[in-house]
Amino acid sequence: MIYTIIQQMFNAIQLGAVYALIALGYTMVYGILRMINFAHGDIFMCGAFIGFLLATKIGLPLWLMLPMAMCLTALLGVIIERIAYRRLRTAQKMSLVITALGVGIFLENFVMLMVGPATKQLPQQLPGSIVQWFFKYNITVTWDRIWIIIISLVLMAVLWLFVNRTLMGTAMRAVADNKDIVPLMGININQVIAVTFAVGSALAAAGGIFYGQSYSIDPYMGIDLGWKAFIAAVIGGIGSIEGAVLGAFLLSGVEIFTVAYLSSNLKNGISFGLLIILLLIRPNGIMGKPILKKV
Amino acid sequence: MNLLHLEQLSIAYGPIKALHAINLEVHEGEIISLLGANGAGKSTTLRAISRLIPVLSGKINYKGKNLLEYQPHTVVAQGIAHVPEGRGIFPGLTVLQNLQLAGWTVKHKKQLKLNYESVFNLFPRLAERIAQSAGTLSGGEQQMLAVARALMTNCRLMLLDEPSMGLSPLLVKEVFRVLREINKRGTTILLVEQNANMALKIAHRGYVLENGRIVLCGSASELMQDHRIIDAYLGAAKK
Repeated sequence: MIYTIIQQMFNAIQLGAVYALIALGYTMVYGILRMINFAHGDIFMCGAFIGFLLATKIGLPLWLMLPMAMCLTALLGVIIERIAYRRLRTAQKMSLVITALGVGIFLENFVMLMVGPATKQLPQQLPGSIVQWFFKYNITVTWDRIWIIIISLVLMAVLWLFVNRTLMGTAMRAVADNKDIVPLMGININQVIAVTFAVGSALAAAGGIFYGQSYSIDPYMGIDLGWKAFIAAVIGGIGSIEGAVLGAFLLSGVEIFTVAYLSSNLKNGISFGLLIILLLIRPNGIMGKPILKKV
Repeated sequence: MNLLHLEQLSIAYGPIKALHAINLEVHEGEIISLLGANGAGKSTTLRAISRLIPVLSGKINYKGKNLLEYQPHTVVAQGIAHVPEGRGIFPGLTVLQNLQLAGWTVKHKKQLKLNYESVFNLFPRLAERIAQSAGTLSGGEQQMLAVARALMTNCRLMLLDEPSMGLSPLLVKEVFRVLREINKRGTTILLVEQNANMALKIAHRGYVLENGRIVLCGSASELMQDHRIIDAYLGAAKK
């Protein structure tokens, strides 16, 4: 009994890591622009496909493919912000949301045109052998999962250090805190926003590649996963980095254990239900601060 | 020397004109007070200099450069710091982080160190509260932090928007004492104030704005004697 729970916990942590890597991008962009970047799930999908192309067409090993795909996806995020969002920054929020949805649909169709609608499989690049130590207890955990969890956690730790310990990270928090004042410090706000999009997109690419190690990828994978990660960010308190990670692991835990002990049909119902209940109790999410309207 | 020169500067918010071709000069080393009632266009003038709002017509010259070619964040690197109305601190960041961000444009480590030294020398209270989040400071301390941030940018010209707002008379006195000290150390100050009495006491010269027009200018002592100023801004206390 306890071993099956541990087995499921591994599954939950792996899925949660992918959710977290995507959710961080939602929460960071929301933090600085007060905008939900609905194209973010599709940036995650693009990251997976960029990784797929680098691995299959050029044959890069994972340790090269992962950072390269992260850089290219970061560039994609910056270009999207530059072309589609920047001019709308002072427009109504609704225009930005519609544009983001449009960018998402564009990315889905663009990738489908390029690689076709069929599902693809990322080549297995991490050792798929079973961890013997766990197997003694009847827990089947492969080394690739261990690696995915470790690299994800390292990426999150690096992000935390970047946001909390560097001047650029401080500038990002300043934009979230009091955006109008930031230029008066001599800081180019466009630069800070570009860095935020770059970092968020790079993390999503890592999420996409890790997802592709266990599941097949297709041009529409970003819709479902994107929504889930968005929910994770909202549950945790959108705008909060710690909240996004917490929400991601909470959501994945609920999903995995629902599938394991109740029914896979209930998976989405229960996770969306959790969102509704949580927002009724804590409208700003677990770690979110109440938004004070300035008079 | 002429440090800042506004020539025939006009600003409009949509169809509403906020400034009507104003002329204003700030000389190196001066404290200039810009007085006027609410809505006269004082903050608008400062926001135009910082390039936060578009200019309808006219010129803004600073050290012989056309400031209209600059953006808000590049103006700072030219040596102009703006302490906005309501202080504009980052409440969620610590005092130190607020100061660090203000030092963004200062590229030399040595200069940055000198700036920290002079800030902590002027505001020992901030040095004590360095790790505290800025939102938990008292109103007076927040105003000090806002001025300290301006100093961190290495400014030659400091624009101050109502630094006395919401402070007790004792704290107002303290703020003005510090401004005078900053000016003595070589920073030119353009001060927007409703507290005309205090503002004229420390200023060299002053301008009076009414409905977007400069209606009066002169040395601070002249303005303090002017019956229009006494009636409109200094009030009964001076009678």
